[in-house]
Amino acid sequence: MKEKTFRRLLIIVMVVCITVTVIHFAYDVYAYWHCSIIYFIAKELWPYGA
Amino acid sequence: MARRKTLVWQIVLILTVIALFLSFNVGLYAALTRRLSNNFSGTSQAKMIDVRRYLPFEEDSDLARVNATLKLSGELPVLDGAAALVPVYASVINAVYPSGSVTYEGGAFSDDNYYGENFAADSKMQYKNTVRGYKAIVDGETDIFFSAAPSEEQKAYADEQGVQLHYEPIGLEAFVFFVNAKNPVNDLTAEQIRGIYGGTYTNWAELGGPDRPINPVTRLAGSGSQSAMEKFMGETPFAKKSPLAFFGASIGYSFRYYMEGIVDNNEVKMLSLNGAAPSPENIRSGAYPAVAQFYAVYREDDPNLNVKALVAWLLSDEGQTLIERSGYVRITS
Repeated sequence: MKEKTFRRLLIIVMVVCITVTVIHFAYDVYAYWHCSIIYFIAKELWPYGA
Repeated sequence: MARRKTLVWQIVLILTVIALFLSFNVGLYAALTRRLSNNFSGTSQAKMIDVRRYLPFEEDSDLARVNATLKLSGELPVLDGAAALVPVYASVINAVYPSGSVTYEGGAFSDDNYYGENFAADSKMQYKNTVRGYKAIVDGETDIFFSAAPSEEQKAYADEQGVQLHYEPIGLEAFVFFVNAKNPVNDLTAEQIRGIYGGTYTNWAELGGPDRPINPVTRLAGSGSQSAMEKFMGETPFAKKSPLAFFGASIGYSFRYYMEGIVDNNEVKMLSLNGAAPSPENIRSGAYPAVAQFYAVYREDDPNLNVKALVAWLLSDEGQTLIERSGYVRITS
């Protein structure tokens, strides 16, 4: 792959990944302030068990 | 050969970038998104309480029942309230209002309603919940509002509008703190709770729990539980929490009846405070230290005579029995 093509491809991949991550994060922030905290706490991960 | 090496290196770099972002998003999904999905829509908010279970004049509803000597007629007060108090004021309507006082848009209750929008404009039962409900009583859309104490903003709105509200305490309730059922911590002191929200304690290990950050969850400003929490904190200011806390083990707050009687989710547990569980006995005796009154709120200038008659009935033995049978603690002995 030519250096120029590689750079373009890398930029496209990074833009897509960053966009997806930002949307994901924005969704979480919005959902956090609008969710039922009882269910939020109920679904918490507890790797240590009971 | 050199060209091939470069190509491999380029592909590896691109795949590494994708893998890094992918693993970050998968981690975020496991820690947060999974817990929020299907949990924040308008429907889930409306389902803070399943109003259908508490519809007056329905034989199979879960309402408390008493043989009321008061039977209202004439101009019937419009009742509204917080989610946790729907079972109380729906039971009141069922006990003292004539049948036909509760009407629905489209003629029947719909499970698709958000915040009780399904109640018709002329219905004597409404469900706006705390934030919208306090505004509605100040604006004269409601006659009696059943709720926890108002927030400073809600009081200020009444003052701005020149409306004098009367807050009649009609029952007792415990303000409770809850954690995931797997959290080994079962009891905290009131000071430790203030320390958590004030930023003194940031890890459960400091309180006899596992080595995990504490995520102190707060509620929407103006909600009944947030106003109660602000009162509980007193002079202690809320600390700004670290972003990492979102990935820790949470603590939240609510009212006992909402946790126990309405949501009843066995994956969370209520904490004892100062060694006292939030049981009706401990609320009544005062052993549980975070007891809140709840109120029948009405405008002082409401000309409807049935308003004061109904509030007086709520304080009578019949009214208090109804409150007790609804799952709350009576305020008069």
